[in-house]
Amino acid sequence: MLLEVRDLHVEFHTRDGVAKAVDGVGYGVDAGETLAVLGESGSGKSVTAQAVMGILDTPPGRITGGEVLFQGRDLLKLKEEERRRVRGAEMAMIFQDALSSLNPVLSVGDQLAEMFTVHRGMSRRDARAKAVELMDRVRIPAARERVGQYPHQFSGGMRQRIMIAMALALEPALIIADEPTTALDVTVQAQVMELLSELQREYDMGLILITHDLGVVADVADRIAVMYAGRIVESAPVHDIYKAPAHPYTRGLLDSVPRLDLKGRELYAIKGLPPNLTHVPPGCAFHPRCPLARDVCRTDEPPLYEVSPTRGSACHFWRECLNG
Amino acid sequence: MPEQHYEPEPAVAGAAIGGTVDVGVEEAETLEKRPKGRGGPGPRDRPRSLWSDAWRDLRRNPVFIISGLVILFLVLISLWPSAIASGSPLKCDLARAQEGSRPGHPFGFDGQGCDVYTRTVHGARTSVTVGVLATLGVAVLGSVLGALAGFFGGVWDSVLSRVTDVFFAIPVVLGGLVLLSVITSNTVWPVIGFIVLLGWPQIFRIARGSVITVKQNDYVQAARALGASPSRLMLRHIAPNAVAPVIVVATIALGTYIALEATLSYLGVGLKPPSVSWGIDISAASPYVRNAPHALLWPSGALAITVLAFIMLGDAVRDALDPKLR
Repeated sequence: MLLEVRDLHVEFHTRDGVAKAVDGVGYGVDAGETLAVLGESGSGKSVTAQAVMGILDTPPGRITGGEVLFQGRDLLKLKEEERRRVRGAEMAMIFQDALSSLNPVLSVGDQLAEMFTVHRGMSRRDARAKAVELMDRVRIPAARERVGQYPHQFSGGMRQRIMIAMALALEPALIIADEPTTALDVTVQAQVMELLSELQREYDMGLILITHDLGVVADVADRIAVMYAGRIVESAPVHDIYKAPAHPYTRGLLDSVPRLDLKGRELYAIKGLPPNLTHVPPGCAFHPRCPLARDVCRTDEPPLYEVSPTRGSACHFWRECLNG
Repeated sequence: MPEQHYEPEPAVAGAAIGGTVDVGVEEAETLEKRPKGRGGPGPRDRPRSLWSDAWRDLRRNPVFIISGLVILFLVLISLWPSAIASGSPLKCDLARAQEGSRPGHPFGFDGQGCDVYTRTVHGARTSVTVGVLATLGVAVLGSVLGALAGFFGGVWDSVLSRVTDVFFAIPVVLGGLVLLSVITSNTVWPVIGFIVLLGWPQIFRIARGSVITVKQNDYVQAARALGASPSRLMLRHIAPNAVAPVIVVATIALGTYIALEATLSYLGVGLKPPSVSWGIDISAASPYVRNAPHALLWPSGALAITVLAFIMLGDAVRDALDPKLR
C-alpha cells in the first residue's frame, strides 16, 4: 500500500465542546489507484486529508490517535521539518478554488518555478524552463508567453490546470485533490478531471479524490469511501457501490442524483441534517435520518462489517440494504 | 472606476468579436481576460502584477501627481536648500526685525531680524529628515514585530499586544514633554527616537492584523501543502500580500510625524535654536503675530502644505492598492 490511514482521530476544541471531526477513519490507496472520498460538508473528508498532508491547523485541531503510513513510514511520528520535505515532493495537494490557492502577487511562472528551486535546488533559469514545460504538460496554450502572467489573468479552468501543474511538478507518489472541480463550469470540470486522471495514469500516482460529486466519481474512481460524521460508513470498489450500496446513507446519496430515466418523478432527498459534531447521536450516527433504523441502531455503534473481502459497511442491516 | 483591475466576463465577447481567437472546443476556456479599452484584439495581455496595476492607477490620479510634486520639491530643497535660498538661516540683523517683504527678502523678517524665506526653506530639511527617518524606524520595528506576532501567535502575540496597549496609553505631547525635556542633545535623533518609541504600536497593530488575515488565505495553505518552509511562507507568500496597509498607514503617519516634530519644537522640547525648524519659527513668531503675521504665516503654511501632501499621498496610495475601498 502506498498510503494507509489507520484509525485516525482528529478533534477540534470549540466553545461548544469537543468536535470529533474524524473519528476512527481508515482507508488506503495504492500506486496508480484512485480512491474517492465521498461525503457531505462537515463529514470529515477534508480534515482527514489535511491530517494526512500535515497541514491541519493545530490549534484548534488536534490529532488524538491513529497512524498515517506512507510508503511504510508513519508520517505522524515524523518531525515537522521531515514532514515538510515529504509535502510537495512525495505527496501534493490540489485545492478547490484555484484562484484563492494561487498567490496573487507572484506570477504563475514564479510559483511553479518555486517548486524546483525550493525542493530541487535548481537555478532560477532552469526552474523557469521547467515551469514552461509543466504548463505545456497541463495543456495551457502559449505557455511560453503566459508564464510571466499573474493568476487573475487566467480563467478558472486554466488556474486549476496551473494548480495541477504545481502539484505534479516534483512527480509525487500521491496526490490529494480536495474537490478539484467544484468551483468550475460543468464543461471545464470534465476537461480538468480528464487531464488529472490522464496524468495520474502516466505517472502511476495514487490519487485521493475528495468530492461530493457522484458523477465525477463514477468515471474515474477505483474505490469509494463514504464518510458520515467523521467515520467511514462504506468502503467498496466503485462498481459494487453503484450496483448495490450496502449502507442506507450511500443509497440515499445515490438516490438523490437526478437521473434521466426517472424524469418527472420527485427527486429523493435524505431527510434531516448532518449531526452537530459536538453532539453526535449515540449508536449509529446516521440513525435519526435512516429509513432502516431500529432500536439497536440507537444504542449500538455498528463496526465496519465485512461485506466481502474488498468491501465494508458500517450498518447493522447491511444485508437488508444490499438487497434493496 | 476608470479601469477595471480584475477584468470581468464581458471581455470574452470583446475577444470573440475581435476575431483572432480560435474557438476550439477543447480550449474554449482560453477566451478570457484581454486588455480592453485598447480596442479590438490586442496582443495577449502583458503580465500585470498588483504593483504595476497600482502604479498605473497612481499615474492617472491627480491627487497623487500634485502631492508627489510637492513632496519631490520638498525633498529637493531639503537636500540642496542653498539652491533657492543662498543666505544663511542664522544670519540675522536685529535692525530689520519684523520688517515686511523687501526686494531679495520676499517673506520679510522675523522678530530677530532673520530672513523668513531662508529659514522656511532651510526648515524643510529638519521636517523631511524627522518625517522620513521616524517613519522608517516605526515601519521597520512595527511591521517586523507585528508580522512575527501575527504569524506565530500564541504567548508572544499576547505579550507584544499588551505592550502596545501600554504605549497607546501614553499621551504623545505629555510623553514628549517628560521624556525629551531631560535630553540636552540638540539634534534630530532624540525626536526621531521618541516618535519611533511611541509610533511603532500603530504599525504593529496594522501589520499584525494584516498578517493574520493573509495567513488564512488558501494560497498560504496551498503553499504549505506543497512544502514551503515557515520563512518562505512569511517572506514570499504572506509579507508581499500584507504590506499594502502598512505602506498606506506609514505614508499618512509620515505627515503627522512632521507635525509632531513641529509641535515638540514649538513646546521647546524638540529641536532648540540654533537648529532651524518650522516648529521653532512658529514658536518664536507667535508673540509678535499682531505686528508681524508674515513671520508666523510662512513657516505654518509650509508645515500645513507638507503634512497635507503626505496625507494626500497616503490616500492616493491606498486607493491604488485597495480599489475596493473607493
